[in-house]
Amino acid sequence: MEIPYEVTARRDTGLYNAKIGVWLFLASEVMLFGGLFSAYVFLRVGTQPGFDNPWPMGINVQKIWPGFINTLVLIASSVFVVFAWVALKERKWQVFQRWMWGVILCAVIFMGFKAYEYSDKLLNHHDVKLVDNSILGGKILDRTHKIRFAAEEVTVDFSGGIPGFIGEIDEDAGDVEFTVVEGADEDDPKTVKLSQFKKWFSTQRREAMAEAVAEKMKRRKGTWEEGKDEPAVTKAKLTAKFNMHVDPHYIVQRNEETLNYRDRTTVKGKLIDDSIKLELHNINLQMIPMQQQDAVLAWKLIHESTGNDDIKKQVLETRDSRIEGIKKYYEDGVVPVKALRGPYVNYHNLHDSHGHDHGHDHSHGDAHAGDHGSEEAGGGHHGETIVTIPRDQARFVTNHGPRAGTYYAIYFTMTGLHGLHVIGGALVLAYFLFFGKRIYLKNPEHLANRVEVGGLFWHFVDLVWIFLFPIMYLM
Amino acid sequence: MSAEATLHDATGHAHDGHDHHDPPFWKKYIFSTDHKVIGIQYGFTALVFMAVGFFLMMVMRWSIAYPDRPVPFLADLPWFQSWLDADGKVTGELYNMFGAMHGTIMIFLGVVPLAFGAFGNYVTPLQIGAPDMAFPRLNMASYWCFFLGGVLMFVSFFLPSGAAKAGWTNYSPLATTTDLGYANQFWTGQTQWLFAMALLITSSLLGAVNFIATIINLRAKGMTWMRLPFFVWAMLVTGFLLLLAFPPLEVAAIMQIMDRLVGTSFFVPTGLNVAGQPFDVAGGGSPLLYQHLFWFLGHPEVYVLILPAFAIVAEIIPCNTRRPLWGYKVMVYAAMVLGFLSFIVWAHHMYLTGMGTSVSTFFQTTTVLISVPSVILITSLLISLWGGSIRFNSAMLFATAFIPMFGIGGLTGLPLAFNNLVLHLHDTYYVIGHFHYVVAPGTIFALFAGIYHWFPKHTGRMMSEKLGQLHFWPSLIFMNGIFLPMFFQGMAGFHRRAFDGGAAYQQISSQLFMPGDSVFGGIFNFLFGRAAGQDILMIDLNLIMSASAWLLALAQIPFVINLFISVFNGKKVTSDNPWDATTLEWATPTPPPHGNFLTEPVTYRTAYEYSVPGADEDFLPQFVPDKETGAPEPAKVAAKH
Amino acid sequence: MASSQEELDRLKKSYVAVGAALFVFTVVTVFTAHWWHPFGPVMGWRDVVLGLIIATVKSSLVALIFMHLNHERGLVYKVLTFTFYFFLGLMALTLFALFDPIPEAFDAIQNALR
Repeated sequence: MEIPYEVTARRDTGLYNAKIGVWLFLASEVMLFGGLFSAYVFLRVGTQPGFDNPWPMGINVQKIWPGFINTLVLIASSVFVVFAWVALKERKWQVFQRWMWGVILCAVIFMGFKAYEYSDKLLNHHDVKLVDNSILGGKILDRTHKIRFAAEEVTVDFSGGIPGFIGEIDEDAGDVEFTVVEGADEDDPKTVKLSQFKKWFSTQRREAMAEAVAEKMKRRKGTWEEGKDEPAVTKAKLTAKFNMHVDPHYIVQRNEETLNYRDRTTVKGKLIDDSIKLELHNINLQMIPMQQQDAVLAWKLIHESTGNDDIKKQVLETRDSRIEGIKKYYEDGVVPVKALRGPYVNYHNLHDSHGHDHGHDHSHGDAHAGDHGSEEAGGGHHGETIVTIPRDQARFVTNHGPRAGTYYAIYFTMTGLHGLHVIGGALVLAYFLFFGKRIYLKNPEHLANRVEVGGLFWHFVDLVWIFLFPIMYLM
Repeated sequence: MSAEATLHDATGHAHDGHDHHDPPFWKKYIFSTDHKVIGIQYGFTALVFMAVGFFLMMVMRWSIAYPDRPVPFLADLPWFQSWLDADGKVTGELYNMFGAMHGTIMIFLGVVPLAFGAFGNYVTPLQIGAPDMAFPRLNMASYWCFFLGGVLMFVSFFLPSGAAKAGWTNYSPLATTTDLGYANQFWTGQTQWLFAMALLITSSLLGAVNFIATIINLRAKGMTWMRLPFFVWAMLVTGFLLLLAFPPLEVAAIMQIMDRLVGTSFFVPTGLNVAGQPFDVAGGGSPLLYQHLFWFLGHPEVYVLILPAFAIVAEIIPCNTRRPLWGYKVMVYAAMVLGFLSFIVWAHHMYLTGMGTSVSTFFQTTTVLISVPSVILITSLLISLWGGSIRFNSAMLFATAFIPMFGIGGLTGLPLAFNNLVLHLHDTYYVIGHFHYVVAPGTIFALFAGIYHWFPKHTGRMMSEKLGQLHFWPSLIFMNGIFLPMFFQGMAGFHRRAFDGGAAYQQISSQLFMPGDSVFGGIFNFLFGRAAGQDILMIDLNLIMSASAWLLALAQIPFVINLFISVFNGKKVTSDNPWDATTLEWATPTPPPHGNFLTEPVTYRTAYEYSVPGADEDFLPQFVPDKETGAPEPAKVAAKH
Repeated sequence: MASSQEELDRLKKSYVAVGAALFVFTVVTVFTAHWWHPFGPVMGWRDVVLGLIIATVKSSLVALIFMHLNHERGLVYKVLTFTFYFFLGLMALTLFALFDPIPEAFDAIQNALR
């Protein structure tokens, strides 16, 4: 028996198999994105003001135009898909091909803008949260968010996994050669190159584990002789000279001479430099109560770096004038507390929205206040304010990637997952475009059905974006 | 067409069927798209996984019963040795790892694949008269996703970090901060658990889409909704539960992967300290969000575990009592209500997370409500036994044992619906006892029953009755030996995650269970070689439970022998319908060929027409047309549609 | 389901109209995010509701016209109704739990962390 209702619809349900299948699949997709939307709402309304990182409004931290264009592109692609389907219904293969190419092109454009947005956030925007919760925003220069360290001696622990420090050695150090000082048996190599390190470590680890097990067994059976039997080697000490850029995320303790990694590796040597150099773009004082805002650490650091207090004066003046504006706006004099705490009071862009202004004395003029939040363009600044932040003054350093806070996390997760759906849908539709001819010649209705089903998925992807755009970019 | 005629047709047409060219071995048995082969693949893989899960539990039970003695046999294996302490005893880390993986393996790799994947795949298309699943290649993809997910779970045992150890629920932030001491977070057990779960979820989703589409669109001629066997209904509801409940867990898994690998803080609150140091993330997340997303799956998952069991038992009981299923329609509606309600009860797992009174009240109400359809189902099965001339074969033994066992599991769940009682019982052995009664002597007994029942259809041979009995009785006794004492211990306050079984908590463990001079005390002291007259403390119940667990393992040996011996040496069946059952799967040749039915099957009546007054035999199969001059048949009118 | 040429032509027209409407709504939603407050974007609940209403209208258009939900079989509606019910349960009940904590315990945790 053949499987029935692959092309024609069953009489009592009125549907062919694939259509039921895709609607069920879409139902599960609704729950998938529904779960994510629920998480979005849960995290957003669960944010405790003054305690958690403030939840930024999309319009303040996003460039609107790529998202806006992407929305239009996806809508256009949805129209193209239905036209492709109609073309198949009319049995016009060439027209179908033309529309389908349009859809694929739209998908490529969409992913292109997506890539631009992601890379811009990851590479050009950083936040440094200071120990008193004031946040300096800008661009970190020359990988200075990492610890620069000149290593001389490394101790690795064989009870863990492959140590992470080998990934943080500077590239210009070349193929570093380590000399094994302690922890190697007679028949083990005395030197190991960086390129061979993982292999060497795995071998040593295996041997160390075997030794440790043998020792345990001996002790348990009472055949262990103190002083005669050597205890198992679980650590090795190596020496080599190289410079590193170390991600502080993986360090549990450090001082001028020593770095202790989470993975129980210890690197000894000399600290080269540990301060963060930030090209200042904005100052975020949302987590600081209003009356303390003129005494935060940020001003001190800016003063030390630039030698004057212009920025502080301008920011606080602008803040005050805006509060006046708000009070005027609420004519009856009752100002909601939320409005005074709102991001547009404390969140302050030091750059003009259009990037024409040079220097940082441009936060005057409330005329721009309305729209400059939407624009935080990177490149092309002259006379930037460079702030040097000692590591011990920084509580949390991040780019505007997923780590930056729950808003960015859910933004990257949802748009990333949505992007994967775009790629998947485009691949399916491309399959119909390039390999559909065979089915078309056999039974054009079959291909029309398949395109309808593929199209349903594509429209769903569009539908998700229709919700993602306002909640991620505007609200 | 009678059953004998079908068998004859099968042999007669074996050579000129539409399957002229035999596909190569790997295509026929490994990358097969045939729902029966996939069902068997699911079954065998799941049984192997379950055996491993059971083994983990035996090691844990050693640690609970004898926390001060080295593990026998295993202490000399090198891989094990690295996890044991210097004396060869189980470490807390190993116990956590095995505990987490026992739960994961048993639920996601054992019971669900066996119940839904194996029985669902094998039986559903046969019972609705379909040639295969609606999407055979999707079906294959579903199996291989499951297989890969399973392999990933097992690979994680051999990573330097070992497998996941944050409990089978994998609560954040514990799960986010476990195994931080590994530079490559990707290859840690905790992360691999998440990836494996993502694969298993994908597998379940593909399976669910396939099942629902098949049941909706591929029903045979005359198979109206109310003529579907209850098995198919249960599979339909289960399919919907999997389809709609699993995606939020996938969301949770993706978010936790982000937390572990990218450093986001979805489930990490502000100000978290790990090992005395501030955890280097932005914070602002919510551990409760994970629990909500997890239990949104977690509770429907309970019904994914139990509905297929009801389904199997509902097939076996009418067949062996020779009576129609009592209250078929009520059962169908009860299953649907169960499905609906199961989505809004989940927070009864979270009473102690600081939820307020209104939320607690809501979830208490829905939780109490959901016991109504469960009780309807179990009562219908019980009443179905009434007045039947019961045929106690192995399948029926397991099926009847399912009823009281599930009853105990269900009724002990009622106190857990109330948040004031949960204050005392939360995370104690009482909870463990409760849900194991539902799943282990409940679902797993039903699965055994299913294996005994449908084995002749697949192989053409019967399983040995004697070995079946030898399997059933010890299993019944030892299952209760393991789980019954848990209720006493739980009410005494024993925490479920103590790797020494509670020995460290003197004030709890020294409670008296029974005086030593009682009859029970005498037997107990004699059996475990203790001084006569010694009092039985609460903690001594661990000895009974652990011994029962190991004996239960021995009790499975007859089953394994039976399964393999009967494939080759079992008694051959004489007809395609050895149990004289009524549903469509018995209309196929034995074993069913590719495409299942030789001619298009037609359904003439409802599913359970046993002992119809006036009929020639005591059963009227769905696939046998009405006789022209037959006695009046109750379903005749309905059959004309 | 569309079969005749006239019907297909009618469909094509509706697709173009819906596409245009979606374009317009997109512009409107960006505009409303800016114009509501004269001195910069502040999202009050009105803005959120407005944005969501526009998004809902847009997505309904996509679902009804592009995904043919304006004339689909009953079965699909049933499946979608189940899904909607479960989605609503997930979203509403998690929020319900979030907004109804035990106040004393909640404050205690907050103070301890501060």
